[in-house]
Amino acid sequence: MHEISIAESIVEIAEAKAREQDARSIQVIKLRLGTFTTIVPDALQFAFEICRQGTLARDARLDIEIVPMVVRCVVCEASTKPVHDVCLICEHCGFPLEIVSGEELQIEYIEVDSNEEVSPWKQYQKEFPSRPVC
Amino acid sequence: METVPERISVQTSVLNANQQTAAANRELFAGEGVLVMNLMSAPGAGMTTLLEATIRSLRGQFRVAVIEGDLQTDLDAQRIQALGVRAYQITTGTVCHLDARMVARALDAFPVSDLDLLVIENVGNLICPASFDLGESLRVVVCSVAEGPEKPKKYPVMFNKANVVLINKIDLAEASGVDLQELTENVRNVNPHATIFPLSSRTGEGMAAWTSWLQQAVKVRASAAMAGA
Repeated sequence: MHEISIAESIVEIAEAKAREQDARSIQVIKLRLGTFTTIVPDALQFAFEICRQGTLARDARLDIEIVPMVVRCVVCEASTKPVHDVCLICEHCGFPLEIVSGEELQIEYIEVDSNEEVSPWKQYQKEFPSRPVC
Repeated sequence: METVPERISVQTSVLNANQQTAAANRELFAGEGVLVMNLMSAPGAGMTTLLEATIRSLRGQFRVAVIEGDLQTDLDAQRIQALGVRAYQITTGTVCHLDARMVARALDAFPVSDLDLLVIENVGNLICPASFDLGESLRVVVCSVAEGPEKPKKYPVMFNKANVVLINKIDLAEASGVDLQELTENVRNVNPHATIFPLSSRTGEGMAAWTSWLQQAVKVRASAAMAGA
């Protein structure tokens, strides 16, 4: 269940970024997750629900974009998307294939509620612009 | 109270913190000229027995130490210490893999400055350890013929990231009804670049090819560090 460690890191990174921006809470965390990782999306969602508790991400949605595995032959440049069996030897020419995508595990962005509260005092100033500002 | 939703770009790898610690570990190992091997397998592949046999063949020539990772017990560390080799046990509790931070903490208590080879025996598991770089130079995966020929197909990420694959228990191939050729081909299919050694740590068959390869790697590492110093 290494998804717990992964979820902890996701919350840590998102929280650090949110604090840097002085945000009040995190609404969305957008993650790109390749299929050639050992991370199971459902297990990650479950782990995330546990790890977000008591953090700025406590109400956040984890938005996972699945990135399919794409491989390309280093010699004949044939490009394929493996569906079930991963085989990294080119079926056309027998040379090794390189992994083009599918190993992603990256936070793209977060959506936050920023801390720009409109204080009653500022509201008051807006209503009475002529009032001297101290 | 009004709130303004705002999108903030992050573009950060989730494993960033682990990768940074792994890079620091790697730098420390390079400075000391020690070859570090991250040894991984499923439970029951014979990883510790194979490690014992490997250590026996290197003893007297190189200074070796072992960091053991297990959920519970220090049984494996005791087995290594019985060979007269320094061993440090990390017990992870319920965590299914070692990460770079656990290794960094172990290094505080377990100096590696007088070593040629440090083996980190990971928690027996073919899934989770694949994601966590420890700062090692070599990733060595052990699988045994007794597990059947399809392990590489079922755990492609782990096998794909290995530099070396040791196919253990070849003396049991016939009894297990496993075609060694098929298993080797399955490894090759998910990792065309890995160096593969079929061997048996019990009978010793194939061990010499593996250990002389490893000795060569340790020597190259040590002389590279001397040249850089």
